[in-house]
Amino acid sequence: MDETKLPDLTINGMGKASGGNYRKVEIEGIGSADGDVSCETFRANGVVTIKGNVRAGHFEMNGKMNGEGSLSAHSVVAEGHLNLRGRIHGDEVKLNGYVKLQGDCEAERFYLNGGFTVEGLLNGGTIDIVLYGRGQAKEIGGEFIQVQKSRNPSGWSRMFAWIISAFEPHLFAGTIEGDDIRLEETTADTVRGNRVYIGPGCKIARVEYVSELVVHPDASVTEQFRS
Amino acid sequence: MERELISKKDLLELTGISYGQLYRWKRKQLIPEEWFIRKSTFTGQETFFPKELILSRIEKIIHMKDDLSLDELADKLSPLLYDIHLRKDELMKRNIVSKIVLERFGSRFVEEGAFSFGSLLFLFTADKLLQNGEMSMEEAGMLLQTLGEHFAKLQGKPCDLFFIRKMGVAAFALLVMPGELYFESGVKIVSRLSMMACIEELKNKLS
Repeated sequence: MDETKLPDLTINGMGKASGGNYRKVEIEGIGSADGDVSCETFRANGVVTIKGNVRAGHFEMNGKMNGEGSLSAHSVVAEGHLNLRGRIHGDEVKLNGYVKLQGDCEAERFYLNGGFTVEGLLNGGTIDIVLYGRGQAKEIGGEFIQVQKSRNPSGWSRMFAWIISAFEPHLFAGTIEGDDIRLEETTADTVRGNRVYIGPGCKIARVEYVSELVVHPDASVTEQFRS
Repeated sequence: MERELISKKDLLELTGISYGQLYRWKRKQLIPEEWFIRKSTFTGQETFFPKELILSRIEKIIHMKDDLSLDELADKLSPLLYDIHLRKDELMKRNIVSKIVLERFGSRFVEEGAFSFGSLLFLFTADKLLQNGEMSMEEAGMLLQTLGEHFAKLQGKPCDLFFIRKMGVAAFALLVMPGELYFESGVKIVSRLSMMACIEELKNKLS
């Protein structure tokens, strides 16, 4: 199909569209799509509901988005609250805010500032997570995995963390596997890797490493094995 | 049949690849999702793989990745999801395809002494119909020819195989699903098989 003939979808204010193939999708305000959306660029500001899958070259959103399907895009930039029933698949995924996924997340480069819940596997070449709230993943796997606590939390977020534990920057994971792993503030059953750094605030039941393991004095590791 | 499994740790030790590589190949869909089998062990949840399948796949990836990029590799691997090659004696030993079929038709499909998944599927389907007693040996030959000529054109779309007979003359047809097919009244549908179901059945037998 001739790409140039694809229509644009623009929603300003409130609007609803069926799914389909588009060149550009721009949503400002409150918008929803009833089916699968496929486009070159997807830009949304406001509150968006997609009752299907999104496939885009470039995907950008600010605000809140609920999706009943998956998101697949070359690059993903999301700020705010992203809630998907499916999975995220992308080359470069940058998320700021809170993300909830019922499926897996796969990306070559995955950057996250904020909190997240991934009920499946978080799989990335580079995974760089800065926690401002609670993080949760069943499994994390990749080449380079780094989890940090936010360096300078504002007074508000510190107060929230004190009142509601969901705002406490801490990661809960089942298994974390990678080549190069650096963790902070993480509770996990198993960590397996080549070079592993277990930083302050970690509670790991079992660590398996190949070449190097460093454990911070403020961290606890129950069992450690070298293979 | 009990399938032989290998744990992720043993696999990495055996093949010398790292966690990162394994995850990257998974991301690139070089290793199918179904091969990741989660099981509880005394050390917690662990991932296992069907040993034979994963070892041959990894060997293939390592062998080819110097010449091809991972994306190119993915294109090459994905259509034949199960790129294993089995020898004749192995097939007979594991009772995947009966001896009679192998001896009669095997020579058509052998490549370097082994069978690919595609040709195995054809033989397996023919064997199935023969075992039911619905098809004769001559007709099996026709079936194999039909599949060999046309199955690849469907590019893995779900399809059904129709085996029909009219006045004792047999014919075969492949129908892409979903689709509808009506016959004249003299035609008897001897058998209708979903090729997807056959693939699944064969996969289960192999792994």
